[in-house]
Amino acid sequence: MIDMIEKEDSIISEEEAAQYDRQIRLWGLDAQKRLRGSRVLLVGLRGLGAEVAKNLILAGVKGLTLLDHEQVTEESCRAQFLIPVSAQGQNRAQASLERAQYLNPMVAVKADTDRVEEKPDEFFLQFDAVCLTGCSRDLMIRVDQLCSQNNIKVFCGDVFGYHGYMFSDLGLEHNYVEEKPKAVKPKTEESNEHDGPEAKKPKVDPSETTMIKKVNVDFCCLKDALEVDWTSEKAKSSLKRTPVDYFLLHVLLKFRTDKGRDPNPESFAEDSTLLRQIRDDVLEAMTLSSELLPHDFVSYCFSEMAPVCAVVGGVLGQEVVKALSQRDAPHRNFFFFDGMKGSGVVDYFGPN
Amino acid sequence: MVQLVGSLRKELADSVSDCNVLVVGAGGIGCELLKNLVLTGFKNIEVIDLDTIDVSNLNRQFLFQKKHVGKSKAQVAKESVLQFCPTANIKAYHDSIMNPDYNVEFFRNFMLVMNALDNRAARNHVNRMCLAADIPLIESGTAGYLGQVTVIKKGLTECYECQPKPTQKTFPGCTIRNTPSEPIHCIVWAKYLFNQLFGEEDADQEVSPDTADPELSWNPADTEARATASDQDGDIKRVSTKDWARSTGYDSVKLFNKVLFKDDIQYLLTMDKLWKKRKAPLPLDWLELQKLGTILEVTGTGLKDQHVLGVAGYSQLFSRSVETLRSMLADKGDGAELVWDKDDPAAMDFVTAAANLRMHIFSMNMKSRFDIKSMAGNIIPAIATTNAVIAGLIVLEALKILSGDVEQCRTIFLNKQPNPRKKLLVPCALDPPSANCYVCASKPEVTVKLNVNKTLVLALQDKILKEKFGMVAPDVQIEDGKGTILISSEEGETEANNSKFLSDFGIRNGSRLQVDDFLQDYTLLVNVIHCEELEKDVEFEVVGDAPDKAPTPPSSQEEQKNFANGNKDSAEPSTSSNAPAEQDDVLIVDSDEEPSSSTMDVSTESGGLKRKLHDAETGEASAKRQRLDQATADDDDDIIALD
Repeated sequence: MIDMIEKEDSIISEEEAAQYDRQIRLWGLDAQKRLRGSRVLLVGLRGLGAEVAKNLILAGVKGLTLLDHEQVTEESCRAQFLIPVSAQGQNRAQASLERAQYLNPMVAVKADTDRVEEKPDEFFLQFDAVCLTGCSRDLMIRVDQLCSQNNIKVFCGDVFGYHGYMFSDLGLEHNYVEEKPKAVKPKTEESNEHDGPEAKKPKVDPSETTMIKKVNVDFCCLKDALEVDWTSEKAKSSLKRTPVDYFLLHVLLKFRTDKGRDPNPESFAEDSTLLRQIRDDVLEAMTLSSELLPHDFVSYCFSEMAPVCAVVGGVLGQEVVKALSQRDAPHRNFFFFDGMKGSGVVDYFGPN
Repeated sequence: MVQLVGSLRKELADSVSDCNVLVVGAGGIGCELLKNLVLTGFKNIEVIDLDTIDVSNLNRQFLFQKKHVGKSKAQVAKESVLQFCPTANIKAYHDSIMNPDYNVEFFRNFMLVMNALDNRAARNHVNRMCLAADIPLIESGTAGYLGQVTVIKKGLTECYECQPKPTQKTFPGCTIRNTPSEPIHCIVWAKYLFNQLFGEEDADQEVSPDTADPELSWNPADTEARATASDQDGDIKRVSTKDWARSTGYDSVKLFNKVLFKDDIQYLLTMDKLWKKRKAPLPLDWLELQKLGTILEVTGTGLKDQHVLGVAGYSQLFSRSVETLRSMLADKGDGAELVWDKDDPAAMDFVTAAANLRMHIFSMNMKSRFDIKSMAGNIIPAIATTNAVIAGLIVLEALKILSGDVEQCRTIFLNKQPNPRKKLLVPCALDPPSANCYVCASKPEVTVKLNVNKTLVLALQDKILKEKFGMVAPDVQIEDGKGTILISSEEGETEANNSKFLSDFGIRNGSRLQVDDFLQDYTLLVNVIHCEELEKDVEFEVVGDAPDKAPTPPSSQEEQKNFANGNKDSAEPSTSSNAPAEQDDVLIVDSDEEPSSSTMDVSTESGGLKRKLHDAETGEASAKRQRLDQATADDDDDIIALD
């Protein structure tokens, strides 16, 4: 993996300048150039995947590979805005390709129809960032381990009904810059009585800014983030400030591993029962009370809600942009969104 | 047993597919919102937008492609959505929501209205229409990385106008004309100059030295005398800048030397009181500058527009742009005027050059065309992801409303970084209506201070009733026992009154005016206070308003929930004719300092709007309602409105 700092081509075309104008005015030309040199892998093209794809393509990455082995069903037509209604039976990545490419012809968008589990290690190494949606816990752990060893930024995310999360692993040492306004030093001068009304002082131009370079350490791997030990008293006392969604995530990932799919509204009754069972098992194994997840939690985690995909996809997309452009402090290391409450929380889980 | 249709309970899913909703705006938020609505199962959607598609929209308004540039946003948005959801029933209007066709009856067709706007005038208007029709309104705004969503329901929550919003920052005339100290002052001056030379001349946009500058004299009577004198003389040398310029054939050297950057500056230097504590300006001479040679070429890897030329380069740019503008004006024929537009290259070049030359004269670092365009054009940076998040939140609020759970609705702020409570998205309880609101109170009333002998009826209509109080078509009756009609919204009926003063109609201190806007179903009683001592450049003052100049930065104690409203609210002449509105809206920015412990989250277990806010984590109750800390950070420099 090439050091990202010197990757970019130096010239930005007129076309890019015009199209990216409003975002260049926000994150600057350097950031845009880095994006322009970045290749991203996106796994999973359901609702959340489509949102992330849109956000990264609009941002202007160099290339985006859409990887999904599943087929388009009637449900996925309703769930996602890249797949045309006529595409039933086609591969999901393939079906999303055309509309994805139309979003921004300057990005090289590709579709890959293989199973992500069957991809060899080398496959992942061609990317600067990898984003996993709809993947099993084991796969995410494996890919995260492989990629972060090779300085590839890793992101995971899912939406379950009204709830959603994203996780990021930017490696042991992620560098970024921040832009701050130049500090205005207040001048104090006595006003001379004889000079009449106090004259205005010349000011420092308030629109001048300065870049501050920062170094960030300490993104842990997904395995460590998920395997936090809750048995200690200290851990238990921190529960009050811990987003409950962290535990919900464990339950839903276990469901996915056990059933090979996510909870389905068409089997609401059986899946609800199973979810509650898994909740009991998971929380017990963590030596925690199953009251942590209230009885009705099952009502709100079926299917992918489009607005929740939009929120999580927006935050996740922006984290990928930040990491690739190396600008602005990344969220560390989870973001949890509860669509019922409208609350979005950033929290760190991992070894202390 | 709960029955689900997708993620939603059956009853909710049915309401969603049956109801009619209105989306006002099809830009950054609008595109994302339309997509979310149809994917959530909304079937009957009407969308309205007066704007056409521009290439700079394409980084985020994802329903549009390059081939659509120039076409109607509402129309193309509809067509794009139908591509992935052909069963949606979408009606698109390429029109302004302020068109009287969209009356209260029209609004009553909808269960819910969602704003995706970028300017305050339209927001005020939709606010009133929704109050009149008693339809819930979801309001939202974004700027850069920040965003905000809130819900407005008549009688239950604050309306959009319950809290006074800071008006756009304006600068005193003497700062613009005599003593600029920041680049923005020079940019405003350059835009005024454009209008004086090529556009609609405006008495409030003078560019020549201001002899009535209060700083020149301690004695207020002196200043007054000087002001009257200069009014009579027509301010320094010329009566009409445009006529003078025309008489010289828009000779740019003459403009440069005799007027703008040499002679006028030399005149300023004679006003020595101004320069006792300030660095004095240094006049420029055209010929001397040309000797420095031209440096117009740009090399390097940055954007062409981001380079800063030398002062000689800007003098050349000035000359070239004047020539181009002169010929554009000539092409338009007699009595023509140009309207400044940031996307018109010559107009932008002119302001870049003129502003930079002035900055140089006043010892400020010159700026690139890129930066000047941001400031002059009130460009608000915008990206897809912020809009995506906000539009997702809008639909979630909509679902609460449709479920009949409006007490669950919240104002939600999107921050750039999490607050000390780890929140990136911060929900806050909605406030009840303000009893004194001049819009949604039962009998709204305001008091306005002005000079009845100097205020024209036209100014009352345009600057006070329309601009300040957000009316679209006001009708005004004097409560004088005779019901004298001062202003009629019917075209032509009271035109003869426009050039008369209020006092000509017997209006004096203590008079009351009944103002109606029938479209908005809004009646406002205006109490008039006659005042002869208003501040310089101030035509009227609303009693109870915060001062109009720079908005007061809210402290951590203040409750300020703000939707600042983007560039279109500046009083200056609009940019392009179809849509001056440029971007999605701005909101209040997070303070750089750590918010105090008064930062509140909202526990949803306890219902109701009027209750003590609980800190769900620590169990403390707060004695008074406190808002998320929202100081205006320096990011606000992006959002400069020019007077």
